[in-house]
Amino acid sequence: MTTGHERGTQRRRQRWTLDSPYAFLAPALLVFCTFAIYPILRSLYLSFFHYEFLRPEQMHWVGLANYREILADERVTGWPGLVFPKGPLTVWQIMLYPVLVPWLTVNTPGGAFWNTIRFTLMYVPATIVLPLFAALLVDRAGRAAGLFRTLNFLPVVVSVAVVSIIWMWIYHPEYGVVNTLLRGAFGGSAGYTWLSDARLAMPAIAAMAVWHGLGLNMLLYLVGLQRIPPELTEAARVDGATGWQALRAVTIPLLRPTIFLVGLLALIGALKVFGQMFIMTQGGPGDSTLTMVLYLYNVAFRYGRFRFGYASALAWALAAFIFLVTLVAFRLSKERE
Amino acid sequence: MALASIDRARRIGNSVVLYVTLAAISVVSVLPFLWIILSSFKPHDELYSKQLTFLPHHYTLENYTKMFERMAGFGYYYRNSILVSFGTVILTLFTGSLAAYALSRFRFRGANAIFLVFLGTIMVPGEVGLIGQYELLSAYGLLNTLTGLTLSYTAFNLALTIFIMRNVFAAVPQEMLDAARVDGCSWWESFWQIMVPMGASGLAAAGTLVFLNAWNEFIFALTMNDWTDEARTLTVGIQLLQGQWQHWDYGVLFSSVMLSFLPVIVLFLLLQRTFMRGLTAGAIKG
Repeated sequence: MTTGHERGTQRRRQRWTLDSPYAFLAPALLVFCTFAIYPILRSLYLSFFHYEFLRPEQMHWVGLANYREILADERVTGWPGLVFPKGPLTVWQIMLYPVLVPWLTVNTPGGAFWNTIRFTLMYVPATIVLPLFAALLVDRAGRAAGLFRTLNFLPVVVSVAVVSIIWMWIYHPEYGVVNTLLRGAFGGSAGYTWLSDARLAMPAIAAMAVWHGLGLNMLLYLVGLQRIPPELTEAARVDGATGWQALRAVTIPLLRPTIFLVGLLALIGALKVFGQMFIMTQGGPGDSTLTMVLYLYNVAFRYGRFRFGYASALAWALAAFIFLVTLVAFRLSKERE
Repeated sequence: MALASIDRARRIGNSVVLYVTLAAISVVSVLPFLWIILSSFKPHDELYSKQLTFLPHHYTLENYTKMFERMAGFGYYYRNSILVSFGTVILTLFTGSLAAYALSRFRFRGANAIFLVFLGTIMVPGEVGLIGQYELLSAYGLLNTLTGLTLSYTAFNLALTIFIMRNVFAAVPQEMLDAARVDGCSWWESFWQIMVPMGASGLAAAGTLVFLNAWNEFIFALTMNDWTDEARTLTVGIQLLQGQWQHWDYGVLFSSVMLSFLPVIVLFLLLQRTFMRGLTAGAIKG
């Protein structure tokens, strides 16, 4: 890397003029420190105070009380525990028991933290696997690859707000596409209320999110696939490996950095999820889709008391958790190598 | 001979499966938008019939005329989104590339520290600053102003822009700068005459990334600019209209949804490569 090695600056100490690196940095630093660094640090500071925005005169230092409140707040830390199927089991339920219990657990609402984790567990694995599958196909599509890349990229440029509104209609119980297709395929009068059923709302939103990010993640995989020399897979094929074996033994291992990138981006994004729930369900039904960011937003701006101190603590607790998860992810990926 | 033809048949079969699968995936990606566009031209009864139609039986513009009559705020939302997004792009690219120039081409005290500060905040979720930001903007009367939102978007897009542009500028050959220096160019002049033209495609990629971030941003816009129609951007406005209209008239809603995604999609189709480069660069930042 050619980081600036300037003879002029080495020769003599530069005078302070407008034609200097400091002057070039100044506008960016000014905006950045005022409108990014300061608000972030201010939130940290506020998280140690009892502070309601509309009653600034009552503001006072409370130390870690806000953080202790988070731990005691059922709407944040509530967790249903492991959920087992009820009543007499059918044959299918017995056969699928090892999968059924985790799924029922993940699909049972709890506090905002658990709901965020629920969304993450539904969204991240699918977002790692499905775009990879799509990318492997597009990679083999030859000249049509560009077309498929473009078509699948369309949702990526559209905002969460607009996408959520479109999908509210797709999930509409009466006029929605999903129920219409189900009625067409299975007959009957399927009237699933996707977004107002506590067992369906979170998976429905997660499915939409996977759809929304497919194009970008696929593109990232395609970039990663292009870095793999074709000779390697060809050599494996010549040695008698089937396509599937070549994929598992050569392509996937070499693609690991990209898989890690896609997974990490999905993970961070999932832990911060907000807009979809705010628009589609407002956290409901009940609190089943209440996520961390949605809850902190509500605490700060919707529940009437404008509890900026507590909301700041929620924000920083979430940030610390995201930081921790990122760190662990990096550590794990280093160990694998 | 027979073996060869079996092999060929299998290969054709494989590629048929491949293309059919790919077509199916693409249809799922595109169909929702297509459906909204078509539905926005359907008359009221057709939208609310149990018999779902894909192509409208009757085309009508009534949804659009109704929308412009009843959704007075929509024009504001549009204007605001355009002003804020382009304002953010210009401000971010200008301040960010100047800073990237300083960080990539000069050696001075604190350079590494400053770069690390920028880089470090990429890791911090912007939502953490939400409450501090609200307080700050409120203290300076910048809530519900386009200036406030633009400044806040600029701040949160700077780190990424600097990171991208620093790499772009680092690739510009040092000889060019030296030559310009010999010819008597100031650093400021060589920034405009060498770095900007040489980094044009990088600037375009970063610009589309910042544009999309600003155009699609939701939580800050919702928090800072949700008091009056005059200040709302499209994402917040459309969400508000959705809440007001979903029980009344889907057709009107569709026409507004369609108008809010159409420009970005058209822009993307025109500048595909730049968009894709910008978004991958934005993702690979880490």
